[in-house]
Amino acid sequence: MNELVVMVIAPLLAGVLAWLLDVRGIKEALGVLGAAVPLGYAAVLYERAGEGINVAYTLGGFQITFALNQLSWFFIGIAALVGFTAVLAMVSTAKSSYEWLFALMSLSGVLGVFLANDLMTFFIFWEIMTFASFMMVLKYNKGASLKYFLLSVFGAYAMLIAIGIIYAKLGTFEFSAVQQAMYRDAYAVMLGGQGLFTKGETALIYLLFIIAFGVKAGAFPLHVWAPDAYSETNQSYTSFFSGALSKAGVYGFILMYILMGAKLTYEFGAFRSTTKFGYIIAFIGGLTIVVGGLLAALQEDIRKLFAYSSISQLGYILVGIGVGTALSMQAALFHALSHALFKGLFFLIVATIVYRTGKTEFKDMGGLAEKMPFTFAMAFIAILSLAGIPPLVGFASKWVLFEAVISQNLPILGGFVFFGSAIGFVYLIRFTYAVWFGQRPTDLDDTKDAPLPMAIAMGILALGNVLFGIAPGLVARELNKIFGREVIGGTLYVLDLGFGKYNALLLTIWLVIGIIIAGIVYFMGAKVRRIPVTDTYQAGNPITMDYNLTIRRNFFLPLKETLAFWLRMSFDRLYRDVGRYVEDLAETLRSYIYNGNVQSYAWYLAIVLLILALWGV
Amino acid sequence: MISVYYFGAISLILIGLYAILTKRNILKMLVGLSIMETGVNLLLISVGYVRGKSAPILSEGVSANQAVDPIPQALVLTAIVIGVATTALALSVAINLYERYKTLDVEKIRGLRG
Repeated sequence: MNELVVMVIAPLLAGVLAWLLDVRGIKEALGVLGAAVPLGYAAVLYERAGEGINVAYTLGGFQITFALNQLSWFFIGIAALVGFTAVLAMVSTAKSSYEWLFALMSLSGVLGVFLANDLMTFFIFWEIMTFASFMMVLKYNKGASLKYFLLSVFGAYAMLIAIGIIYAKLGTFEFSAVQQAMYRDAYAVMLGGQGLFTKGETALIYLLFIIAFGVKAGAFPLHVWAPDAYSETNQSYTSFFSGALSKAGVYGFILMYILMGAKLTYEFGAFRSTTKFGYIIAFIGGLTIVVGGLLAALQEDIRKLFAYSSISQLGYILVGIGVGTALSMQAALFHALSHALFKGLFFLIVATIVYRTGKTEFKDMGGLAEKMPFTFAMAFIAILSLAGIPPLVGFASKWVLFEAVISQNLPILGGFVFFGSAIGFVYLIRFTYAVWFGQRPTDLDDTKDAPLPMAIAMGILALGNVLFGIAPGLVARELNKIFGREVIGGTLYVLDLGFGKYNALLLTIWLVIGIIIAGIVYFMGAKVRRIPVTDTYQAGNPITMDYNLTIRRNFFLPLKETLAFWLRMSFDRLYRDVGRYVEDLAETLRSYIYNGNVQSYAWYLAIVLLILALWGV
Repeated sequence: MISVYYFGAISLILIGLYAILTKRNILKMLVGLSIMETGVNLLLISVGYVRGKSAPILSEGVSANQAVDPIPQALVLTAIVIGVATTALALSVAINLYERYKTLDVEKIRGLRG
C-alpha cells in the first residue's frame, strides 16, 4: 500500500475501530495512534516531497489520485500536527466514541483534500471533511450545525457546478491537465484566437470558487457559521477545526491561482499593482479582518471571542493570497502555519479552561493564573504570538505580510491589516486580564491545572510557536522550496526581504534581557496588596451594576454603542430573514395551490393537458 | 372538413370537462365524468371506422378485408367496463362524503386541505 493512501486512510480506520470497540482506554489509544500515523508519515516523506509522489486508484468508477509536492506537504504538515495535538487533547475532553469517529474522519478528509491531485478527489474529500465536522457540531448544538451545514452545502454546490463547467469544457479533472489547458486558453485569447472559456464563463467559475472556498475559510460575508460552529463543539476539536479545516479553504484559493491564475489575470486585467481578481479576494480578506476583529472585541464568551478572532486572522491569509506576488503568497502560507499554531493552541487553552471550570463567560472568570500556571504560560505564548509580538511566530508571519502589502503600494489593504492588528490587541488584552488576572471568584478556588494529555498537546503547539518564531528561517526555507527560488532571503534567524530585515534571535536576546530586568525590579520592589472583588471604585463612588464596565463585564460597551449603527446590519440576521421569507413563500404557495378542492386539481389537469396540446405533444 | 363523428365526440368530451370544472355539486361532476367517458368511447370507435365496411365478425359473405378496424372496439369494450367501475366507485365515495359532511358541495368539503 502506498504511503499517501495509508496517511489518508489511517485516521479514518482508527476512528471506525474506536467507534466499534468503544472500550475506555482502547479507543483513546486507537485515536491517538490514528492521528500519529499521518504526522509520522509527513515527517518521513519530507525528503521525498521535493521529487513528488503520485498515486492513482480506481474506486467504484472514480479515479482517485493523490500527489505529494512541496505545497501539499506544507499543508499536510500543518494538518497532521494540529490534528495530532487536538486528538491528544480529546483524550481528556471527548465524551463518547462518536466524537472519536468523526474527529478522525475529518482528519482523513482534510488530508485527502490537501493530497488530492484531481478535482473529483478534491471534492469527495472536501465533502467527507464537511460531513464529519458537521457531525461533530451536531452532537453539541443542532441550530449551529444546521447553519454550518446549509452554508457548507451552498459552497459545495457552487464548487460542484464550477468543476462541472471545467469538466464539460476540458474533459479532465486532473490538476496538471486543467492548469495547462487554462494556460493555453489564456494564450489563445491573448493572440486573438477563440478561447474555450468565454469571459462570462471564466467569471462564473471564479465566482463559484470564491463562494466555495470562502465559506470554508470563513470569509466575510460567508463567515456566519464559524462563530457558532467553533463555539458549539468539543473545544479540543475546535482547535483542529479552526487550525486545520479552515486551511482547506485557504488551500482552495491557492489551488485556484495554480489552476486558472493566468486565465483570470488575462481576462480581468490589473488593478493598481495587483490583478483585479486578486484584489477582490484581498479586499474580502480585509473586510473579514475588520469585521471579525470588531465582533471578537464585543463578545462576552471566550469561545465566541476566539471564533471571531480566528475569522479575523484568516482574513490576513486571504489578503496575502489576493495580493498575489510571490512574497505575499509566501506571507499567506507563513501566516497559515502560524495561525494554525497559535489558534490551535488558543482553542486548546479554552478547552482546558472549559474542562476545568465548566464556565465559558468572562464574567465568571478571573485570577486563574495562580491556579493554572502551566496553562497560563501556554496562554501567554499564544497571546504574544497572535498579537504579533516578537520573537514569536505570529510576528514573523505578520511582518512578512505587512511588508508584502506595503511594498505593493496598496494603501487600503494596508489600512485593513494594520487596523486588524490593533483590534487584535483590543480583544486579547481582555482575555489576558479577565481570565488570568484580577480577583478570583470563590467558586474557582479549587481549579486544577491542565490534565496531562492536554498539557502535552499544548506544549507541542507552544514549542512550535516559539521555535518557528525564533528561527523563522526554517519556515522561509520550506516556502522558498515551493516557489523554487529564494523569495525570502536570510539565515535561520534572520528574514531578509531585500528592503527590510528582521533578526529574530537578536530580538529574543533583548526580550530575555528585558524580562530579566523586569523580574529583578518586580522581586526587589513590588508590593502586592490583596483586594476583594467588591473593592472597585469609579470617581470615588462604588460602581453600580447599571453601567458596570469592568474587564469582565461589558468592557467594550462604549465601542458597541459607537458601532451600534453598523452592528444592526448583521449578515447572520439577513440570512435568517431570507430563510424565513422562503419559508413563508412556500407556505403561501402551498396553501393556495394545495387547497383541498377537488375541482382545482381538475383545473390543473385540464390546464396542463391544454398546454401539452398547444405544444403539440 | 372535420367529420361529424369527431366533432360530436369531442364536443361531448368538452361538455363533460366543462361540467367537471365548473359545477360545484359532486353528483353533477360525476355526470360530467360519465358524459366525458361516453365522448371518449365514441371518439375511439369513430377512429376505427372505415367508410362502407361492415362489422368485424367473420361470417358468410363477410371476409376479413371488408371489416372495420376491430382494435378500437376491443379497447372501448374495456373502457366501458372501466368507466362503469370508476363511476360506481365514485358514487360510493359521494355517498360517504355526504354522510360525513352533510353536503355535496366541493367548495365546502375541505377534508383534503393541508
